[in-house]
Amino acid sequence: MLKYIWLVPLLPLIGAAINGLLGRKLRFSEKLIGGIAVGSVALSFLISVAAVYSYGFGGHAEWPKPYLTSQDGFSFNWIPGGAVSVNQGGRARMEAEAAKQLQEQLAAMTPEERSRHGTITGTFVADTPRYALLNIDWSYQLDPLSSIFMLIVTGVGLCIFVFATGYMHGETGFYRFFAYMGLFMFAMLVLVMGSNFLMMFVGWEGVGLCSYLLIGYYFDRPEAANASRKAFITNRIGDFGFALAIFGVIATFGSAQYVDVFNQAKSYPIELLGHWGVLSWIALGLFIGACGKSAQLPLHVWLPDAMAGPTPVSALIHAATMVTAGLYMVTRTNVIFQHSQTMLLVVALIGAATAIFAATIGITQNDIKKVLAYSTVSQLGFMFMACGVGAFVIGIFHVMTHAFFKALMFLGAGSVIHGMHHEQDMRRMGGLKKYMPYTYWTFMAGWLAICGIIPFSGFWSKDEILWQAASTTHIPLGWLIWLIGTIAATCTAFYMTRLMAMTFWGKERFLEGAGGEADEAHASAYDKGLAPHDALRPSAGDRPRHEPGEHVGPVYEDVAHHVATHGHADEDGGHTHGAHVPHESPPSMWVPLAVLALLAIIGGFVGIGPAFRSVTGSEHPGGRLHIVNWLNPIIWNPVTGDFNAPEGAEHAAPVAETPAPPAESAQGEASASVYGNTGYNLAHSVESSTHSELGTEWIFIIISLVVAGTGMLLGAYFYLWRPKLAGIWAQRLRPLYVASYNKYWVDEFYGAVVTRRTMDLARAVYAFDSKVVDGIVNGLATLSRVFSRIVGAFDKYFVDGLVNTIAAFIMRLMSPLFRAAQTGFTQNYALVMVLGLMVAVALFFMRDILSAIR
Amino acid sequence: MTLSGYEALFFWIFALGAIFAGLLTVMARNAVHSALFLISSLVSVAALFVLARAEFIAGVQILVYVGGVMVLFLFVIMLVNVGAEERGRDEIFNNQRQVAASLIFCLLLVGGVLYSVNKGYRGLQEHDKTTPEAVAAQEASRDQSLPKTATLTSRRTKDSERLAGSLYRYASLPFEIASVLLLVAIIGSVMLARTLRQEASADDVDPEVLKEEMVRDPELARLEPQSE
Amino acid sequence: MIMHNLIPTFAFLFQEGLRSKAELMRESAAHPDLSKFLVIGALLFIIGVAGVLTRRNIIVIFMSIELILNAANLNFIAFSRYLSTTGSPNAVAGQIFTVFVIVVAAAEAAIGLGIVIALYRNKETIWVDEIDLLKW
Repeated sequence: MLKYIWLVPLLPLIGAAINGLLGRKLRFSEKLIGGIAVGSVALSFLISVAAVYSYGFGGHAEWPKPYLTSQDGFSFNWIPGGAVSVNQGGRARMEAEAAKQLQEQLAAMTPEERSRHGTITGTFVADTPRYALLNIDWSYQLDPLSSIFMLIVTGVGLCIFVFATGYMHGETGFYRFFAYMGLFMFAMLVLVMGSNFLMMFVGWEGVGLCSYLLIGYYFDRPEAANASRKAFITNRIGDFGFALAIFGVIATFGSAQYVDVFNQAKSYPIELLGHWGVLSWIALGLFIGACGKSAQLPLHVWLPDAMAGPTPVSALIHAATMVTAGLYMVTRTNVIFQHSQTMLLVVALIGAATAIFAATIGITQNDIKKVLAYSTVSQLGFMFMACGVGAFVIGIFHVMTHAFFKALMFLGAGSVIHGMHHEQDMRRMGGLKKYMPYTYWTFMAGWLAICGIIPFSGFWSKDEILWQAASTTHIPLGWLIWLIGTIAATCTAFYMTRLMAMTFWGKERFLEGAGGEADEAHASAYDKGLAPHDALRPSAGDRPRHEPGEHVGPVYEDVAHHVATHGHADEDGGHTHGAHVPHESPPSMWVPLAVLALLAIIGGFVGIGPAFRSVTGSEHPGGRLHIVNWLNPIIWNPVTGDFNAPEGAEHAAPVAETPAPPAESAQGEASASVYGNTGYNLAHSVESSTHSELGTEWIFIIISLVVAGTGMLLGAYFYLWRPKLAGIWAQRLRPLYVASYNKYWVDEFYGAVVTRRTMDLARAVYAFDSKVVDGIVNGLATLSRVFSRIVGAFDKYFVDGLVNTIAAFIMRLMSPLFRAAQTGFTQNYALVMVLGLMVAVALFFMRDILSAIR
Repeated sequence: MTLSGYEALFFWIFALGAIFAGLLTVMARNAVHSALFLISSLVSVAALFVLARAEFIAGVQILVYVGGVMVLFLFVIMLVNVGAEERGRDEIFNNQRQVAASLIFCLLLVGGVLYSVNKGYRGLQEHDKTTPEAVAAQEASRDQSLPKTATLTSRRTKDSERLAGSLYRYASLPFEIASVLLLVAIIGSVMLARTLRQEASADDVDPEVLKEEMVRDPELARLEPQSE
Repeated sequence: MIMHNLIPTFAFLFQEGLRSKAELMRESAAHPDLSKFLVIGALLFIIGVAGVLTRRNIIVIFMSIELILNAANLNFIAFSRYLSTTGSPNAVAGQIFTVFVIVVAAAEAAIGLGIVIALYRNKETIWVDEIDLLKW
């Protein structure tokens, strides 16, 4: 089955092509379109499962080697060989610098340390030629990392596709939606399955395009169009950095294939903090791309606006898959990142800053989808934190669990929105628990997961991230990362509980009147005598087009007023004014919720942390199924200078406590010596006071559970038990509240500094072009016209005059003569003919005639 | 090819007859007289053809030229000329200058012809060394081999045979082209000689011209086109 | 000059002795040769040309044209006979030419007379000098 992994991206593409090209022309029914889309993704999923199984667990398992289709399957020689010069000069510089660093370190160590220290400095591949043939193949690579992403993308995607068939029911653009979604699946799969950087870039751009198309799905609404443009442009800024990084990769390593690049990169010297080399440049470019795609500070602004797209889009693209592409890229190139300590620090800090930034904004938002959007940004910050501290595997683990519970919660929100007749403002919900039980219980699973409650999936990954942040030896300031992460986790628990309380628990507010920005918009429209869907102030939320007369949106208190204004009563079947009672969603919508809830509950068990080794028997239980073991072959180990061998991790014997500390500390010190002195290490300091590795780990687990519980309690307190307290505290902390509510005015800042200034520049350039450049051209044209008039006059009066005079003179002279010959008398002509005949005959005999004459 | 004896006599009779008839063709007042004189000229020339041993051509001349073309001439004279002849007062020759110029040219032509014949005569004589008697004897002997005609007074000649052999073997393409030419002539003459009424009834007249003509001849309007 | 060369033609007229002159004449007349045929043909030709250029009646002009063609035919036949007696293999070409000349003359006569009739219908005249539409 491994040979057929090229079908995995192709099937959704075919489904998308059929839906897109023929869906409207041949008027496919919704069932057919949905069937094609879901069927293609399901087939892809099955093939992925079979391929991953045969890759990792089958008879001739290839794991841990990566499997490339260019070996015996599909491979297309996309860009044939051309010369690329490899940066030899730079390498020499790096070599010299690394040698100098090593000398400094060795001088700073004690003799014992020096003896224990292994030489890990750059052993360069000296036989790399100066010029390399850049040969890019379009082939797919199945390795531990891409297998996880394949399964996430197709599996979670399948659930979301099924959900979307129910959610998008009744849309006129049904076929378009699924065509774009299929195209997105294709692009995402190319991104994760590509075997070289260029394929990843193709997929990168493709998912950006599909995000644009899908956010702008309701293209007639201005906020959707603006949001899609914003998403694409912000993405593009990141893509610029990414492209530069790819150029750097090709120039430095002479190839774009992962296997070639990483095999070369692993033997480069590590660039410590403050030493900035070529690998740091490459990592910087890559990270800029990741910021754009995965919505990190400062390029996070597009993700909340992207909620203007339909909810399945938000779930798939902006929670589970597209935004995790940055993570995929960072983990894929972890060799390069781990070679640059500065960049690791940057990644971790930005991740942490994003996490806390977005978490504080999410506390005050009222739109259910916006809360989830900021939650996504925050969780992405967590993932980058993990990568920044060197725990790439845990970052991917969090990607996986986040995909489960965030997609679940987005779909649950979609179900809520659907049941509330497209009301998205949480202030108008409440007590939905009894109207939408399936949605409620599945959402609860997601809530518990994201808060990090044991044994749900979110706990395992988030806790491990915080532990790795506290105990990291890759970068300094690990304690700061841990602290920020803990605070962000608290905020996460708080606002998620707030969401649950406002939506599912508490008083039912959907029958009440005023409130909500949607309502304000509609009220202002009524005041002006317009229909609801001509609302002047744009309303939030992915409200679809609706027919005149169909009421989509909030309830109005004054039925009489409404009837008087519109002149008719509502004709929606069963949904009259006054009682928009929410209803549960159809099975096509809650079944995927149930599946995702199940995954959110049990999905974390593939990553049970080493803290539980007394229960499970090994540090990473489950052998190959444990995510750390599974991903180890692609993670570069700075101590050994190579990618981790599976034997070392798989056969990890139960380590007794006493030998553990020296070995760990030796390893820790070894890696510490690799990355230099990373300053205060929180875990080590705790451990030195408890003298127990296990105890330290358990302390951190308890801390994170406590903060999660605290956040949940606070949330329940403010929004469930004492709802009025929320408003009072908002007033008391008014400056903070306003700042958070207005998203720290980042958009306004960008608008003033970047957007408007660019437009001013454009206007200036336009003015220059139209006045100066065009002026010159027009001036030349005028000059030509003047000149041509002069020449024309000369020609007309002088030259033509001359010609006419001469012609007239000749005519007057000759015409009587010529006229005399035209007698019209045929026999004159015959006479002339005979004369001519005689002349001809005479000419024939001219010689004889002349001789006769003489 | 020298003729002798009775052949020479008949040659002179017919030759002078042809010239005389030709002269009168050109000078006769009445067109019918002209035609008849032309016929006699043609017949005389046919006799000359016979003397030159081109019997087939002589027959063709009489049948086609005289029997076809001249009859056609007579028809057309009757169609066209009758009215003019009745008046009998018109001039038959052109203005004096034209006639004078033509006669000058003709005399020049005569001079030229005689000169060239004279010049060539010497050469012909040198070439033709044989005496007339020898030639006559040669011819007679050649004739002996030919079969006699039905009346047993003379021999059948092979002229038609020779002509046909060469015509159909070496000149078959011009022959076919000539037949096409005749076809074209037939069609053309039919077309040229149609009256306006005939053309209108076949719907072959330009509508504007038809309108003009209808003013002069109202009956045109009543004609139905014969073909749809 | 030209007369120098014309003289020998009629030289016999100036020979001494009427008798010899008459004899020569009788001699040459008694055995008409190719040259006599050619002269006859030429005279017919010239008469025809004069008729074409001089007469006003259009039909007579046509008949003069027929005379011209006939004269040409006579020439062809004369040469054909001459060549057959001198033994040229292509002697019969003259007669073939004649056949075609007759064909063309017949076709031309038909068309020409058709034109004459059409012209007569339009112009009501047979005098050529009254048909001068091309004047100037």
